[in-house]
Formats: sequence, structure tokens, C-alpha cells
Amino acid sequence: MNKTVNINLAGVFFHIDEDAYAKLQHYLDSIKRSLNNTQGKDEIIADIEARIAELFGEKVKNERQVIGYKEVDEVIAIMGQPEDYMVDEEIFEDEPTYTQSHTKTTGKQLFRDTEHSYVGGVSSGLAHYMGIESIWVRLLWVILTIASSGAFLLIYIALWIFVPEAKTTADKLSMRGEEVNISNIERKIREGFDDVAGKVKNVNYEKYGKQARSSATSAATGISATILFILNIFVKLIGILILLVAGSVLIGLFIALFTVGTFGIIDAPWTDYVEMAGIGAPLWLIAILTFFVAGIPFFFLFILGLKILVKKLKSLGTPTKLVLLGLWLLSLIGLSIIGVSQATKRAFDGEVITTENLPVTSKDTLYLSMKYNPIYASSVHGTSVKLKYDDNDNQVIYNTNIDLVVKSTKDSIGRIEIIKKAEGSDYKEARDRAQNINYGTKFSGNELLLNSYLTANASDYFRDQKVRVVIYLPEGSTLRADRNVAGYINHHGYDNILNTGEEENFLTITEDGTLCKSCPLSHSDDTWDDDDSWDDENEATWNEEEGKFEASFTDDNDSASKVRIKIDENGIKINNNRNKKVEIDKNGIRIQND
Amino acid sequence: MKIENTKAQMRKGVLEYCILSVLKDNDAYVAEILDTLKDAKLLVVEGTIYPLLTRLKNAGLLNYRWEESTSGPPRKYYGLTDTGKLFLKELTHTWDELQTAVTIVTTQKSKNHE
Repeated sequence: MNKTVNINLAGVFFHIDEDAYAKLQHYLDSIKRSLNNTQGKDEIIADIEARIAELFGEKVKNERQVIGYKEVDEVIAIMGQPEDYMVDEEIFEDEPTYTQSHTKTTGKQLFRDTEHSYVGGVSSGLAHYMGIESIWVRLLWVILTIASSGAFLLIYIALWIFVPEAKTTADKLSMRGEEVNISNIERKIREGFDDVAGKVKNVNYEKYGKQARSSATSAATGISATILFILNIFVKLIGILILLVAGSVLIGLFIALFTVGTFGIIDAPWTDYVEMAGIGAPLWLIAILTFFVAGIPFFFLFILGLKILVKKLKSLGTPTKLVLLGLWLLSLIGLSIIGVSQATKRAFDGEVITTENLPVTSKDTLYLSMKYNPIYASSVHGTSVKLKYDDNDNQVIYNTNIDLVVKSTKDSIGRIEIIKKAEGSDYKEARDRAQNINYGTKFSGNELLLNSYLTANASDYFRDQKVRVVIYLPEGSTLRADRNVAGYINHHGYDNILNTGEEENFLTITEDGTLCKSCPLSHSDDTWDDDDSWDDENEATWNEEEGKFEASFTDDNDSASKVRIKIDENGIKINNNRNKKVEIDKNGIRIQND
Repeated sequence: MKIENTKAQMRKGVLEYCILSVLKDNDAYVAEILDTLKDAKLLVVEGTIYPLLTRLKNAGLLNYRWEESTSGPPRKYYGLTDTGKLFLKELTHTWDELQTAVTIVTTQKSKNHE
């Protein structure tokens, strides 16, 4: 007993046995393949089909007779093998030349090889596609999975879902890059008869035919085939590139989504910022919205890359696409709303200025340094905005946005101006927020300590709070800034007269700047700097209180020779370690040589 | 070198000429052309002729018309165009020359053997 198929051959109706049908189908496909690149291919095929219909017609005695394997074989014997259909192109010189070549690899397609699978057959399928042993692909998977701490598994799963399984014989042949023709299929069937015979009987013939056709197309030949081949490789490379980029971005986004503090796996430091920013939307919502906005385009890109590599890729389906698109648009709108509301919350600047007298007269010296709070930080260095807890366990925003400006004044006494600034949705809110900034200074003796930080209530959120400290010093007074103020000095105008690099020196305040009394010679005299005569061993000290200057340095040309210079109330002494001396004092000038 | 290939090449070379010759006096459909050629043992399998016919038609040497058939699908009746007739004349001339040349060469050869 045999199943039959109804076929329409050149407009004539035939009953045909299923196996005979398969044979005829393969035959026609092979002819199409061998006629590839031949002009008027469709017409030729139509003529051939008409002729086959005619031959069948002669063999069928009555309408009920079924075409069997025997009849098909006979017709094929009359018509000839696919090779017989090929015409020597030299006869038609004005048309493209036709040379037969076997570019088998172009016919390869990516399938999952479930016959040789450990999990989903992805690895063995890829191995067939790349023409290597599947063990290497599996090893690569394992390495990549470990290296990416499991994230690469997602790509495996995606491939598992989207890459079709090699079900039919034709699929299996395309997977291995073998040409789909009768002899190959027959060989394949003989190889695994038990397994395949059943499948061949249930082959989806339409799909099968399509498959064979597309394979025939890709097994194109000649010059155009070479170009096609190179193009194919190029396109495949682009596909792989797109796949890799989109895949890694997706993985990155995925990891990011799960590491956002709310999801509790890793407490990322920047979640503080988001919380402090007081956006008005929960962090997880922003995280998900961002994930969708960034992730969905990359997901489509990923599918595109897969589509380039896998011809028979299952389509996403219009509903899925629309849902994704809608999700993306909604997320985008959501983020925009959050962004706009955030911007309006910071639209206005407000500032509060407080001024205090600083009991420093023109005769005094002011020692200036920064002070950190051990609750919040371990030193005055480093800039940051963080959520911290104060002494009373209240949450505060710790912020090192402190700006230091030094100015000279003609007043007899100095003063200190503290300008607190913040942003808000209106002027009043900004002002109130600025008012709420906690900032402290401490003056004792002749030492001024400035906090290296400000704190604000956590309920005020982070709205670019900052403090500028302006110190007005009377002309003639002296300023000695500690080294630790260096990071806080304002360099952007405001008539600031304290320059970086002048810390740790006694600066006399003048009308429009400072005069450095104790700056090292190397700073005031360029020639000493440039000709290298001061190396690390050389030193000079200027002791203002005792009125002493002492320096020693090594001769460049003779490292054993050392020279010392001493200037004090007694006079000037210059000597070296080889008993040469110059002395100037109240007794006159003496020069000793030896 | 396979003798089969050489034989096929020789046959294919004259096939067009023969197809055009069959159609010289009257139009014919594919099966008729095939019968003539197969009777003459010029053609072993039928497949070869279809691409050739299409080529000749596309080159403007042949044209065809459809005719209904009682026993099967409609038939394509091929006939020579004016260009085809000229082409055939030219080929006939070339064939005569070739035949003469081949005869001379082969008979000379056999003389040498004697």
C-alpha cells in the first residue's frame, strides 16, 4: 500500500505515489540547479514539465492509474540526467560564460544538529557551519560561559530558540554544506535508513522543495559565484559582528539591571546618587525603563544578526514585534517624563550669603587649613557626593563641593563670606535648600579651619548644593595656607589671589595679589631651576624668625664637592668641603684658598 | 580524456544545426523534433534540447505558437524566423565545407596507412 499525491504538471492532473513524487521533485530541483545561471531558466523548466506531463500522459492508460516509481524512472531515462541539460556556453558567446565549479561552502546553513547533541545541538550545528570539530565549539562555550560568569548561556539559549533544528535530509545536507541533489540524498538515506526513512515519508514537501531551491541558488557558479561567495562571507561577517555587539550589550544591560541596588545582588555605589537625586520614581522603575529603552533596539539588532546567519530563522511574529515596539515607546516616554520633571526641579538657583568678621589685622598672620570630619571621610582629599549618616544617625548628603577664594581688602580687619548655593523648582525652594546647607568654620588663635565638606538633609535631595568661602584679608597681613587647601582653591577668577603652589609659604597680602616671602629660590629664580645645579641633595631654607638663610648644594662637575652658603646677622659665609672659604662680615671680606 | 565526453561534444556542436534543419520546411512541436533527432540517433536523452530551444528562441532564430492538444498540455510549435533562415543557410554552407574538409583529412589519413 502506498500514499498518493495529486500533482499539477503543466496544467495536467496526475495521481502519483508519494515516493515517486519525492523522486520527481528531486529530479526537477536538480535540473533547476544545473540550469542555474542559464537565461530563460523558468521557461526551460516549464517546457520540461510540459514534456514530462506528455510522457506521463502516454503511460497512463486510464484516469485512475497512478504514476509510480517505475514510470518516473522511465521518464528520467528518456529525459536524461541533470548534467545533460547543461549547454556549452561557447555557442552563445555574447552571453555570460558558464563554467561549472563546486563552491560547496556557500550552500551551508546554520542548523542545530540534534543527532549529535549534548544539550540543544547548537554546538555541533555551529561546528558544521564553521567546518571544525564540535569539541572545540563546546570548549569555547565552556570557557566563554565561565569567563562571562554565566552570561554567555543567554546567547546559547537564544541560539537554541532561534536556530531551527535540522529535521529533513535536505536540512542535514545544507547543515554539512553538501549539495542537495539526488545522489547525496540517496546516500544520506542509505546511511541512516532506519532513522531517516520515516522522516522522508513525512517530509513537508513544500518546505523541502523550497529548501532544495535555495540551496541550489547558493551553489551558484562562475565569476558571479565568486563575487557572491565573497559577498556572502562579508555579509556573514557583518552578521557575526552585529550578533556579537548586540549580544554583549544585551548581556551587559541584563547584568546592569540585576545589579541595580534594588534587586539586591550587588550594591552598586551609584545607586546612592539615584536615591539622592530624588527623581520621584523608584529606582527599579528607572532601571527597567532604561533596560527597555536601550535593550529593545539591541534585541532587534541581535535578531537581525541571527537572520543574516540563519536563513530559516523563525520570525518573531508581528504581535511580538508590536508589543516590543510599544514597550520601547512607553519606556521612552516614561524616561522623558522623569527627565523633564527632574529638570524642572533644578530650574532655579538660590543662594544665601553670610558674612562674619575675621579678627585679622594687617600685622597678623593667618594660618589657613581644611578640616575633615572623621565620621564621613578619612582625609580632606578626594571629591565625592555620598549618602552618609551623621552623629545622630540621620541620613545626610555629604558633599565636598567647597570653593575657596582669597581676596585682599582695604579694611583694617578681615572678614569671611560664606555663600551657600542650591537648585530648586522655584527660587524660594532653591533658597530654602541653600539655607539648609550645613557648613562650619572655626577660628582660634590665628588659625582658621574650614570644613572640607558640606552636609545637607537627605530629604533635600542632591540639587547641586555648593559652598564658596571668600576670605577677605587686610593689606599687609600675612597668610599661610596649609598644603591641604590645594584641592579647594578656586581657579576661575573671582579675584582670587591665592595660587596653587603657594601653600605652606608666608604670603603678604598686597593690594592686588600676594608677595611670597619664603618661597624657595627655585621658584623665584629660574636660572637655578633650569641649569640643574639643584638636584635632590641640594636644599635651601629661609628662616624668617631668626633671619637666617642656609643653603647647600653639590657641584655638578664634581659630585664630591659640596658648597654651603650661610647668611645670618653675622654676615655671609660661603665654604666648601675642601677648605675654600669666602666670608663677609663686620671685619671685611676674607677669601681663603686652601 | 573520456571518449563519451568527446562524443557528446561532437554531437552537441551540430545539434543546433540539426534543430534548425528539422524546422526548415515546416513548423514542429518539441516531441516531433525529438522524434526526428532520436531516430537519427543524434540525441540519446531529451533533456539537452530544451535549453537549446530556448536559447535559439531568445537569439531570435526561432519563434513559436501555442496549439491545443487533445491528449495533453498545450504544445509549443516552433518555426524558423527570417534571421533563423539566414542563419541556417550560413550553417549549411559551413557544414558542407566542414564535411568536405573532414572527408579529405580522414581519407588522406587512411591513404597514409596503406
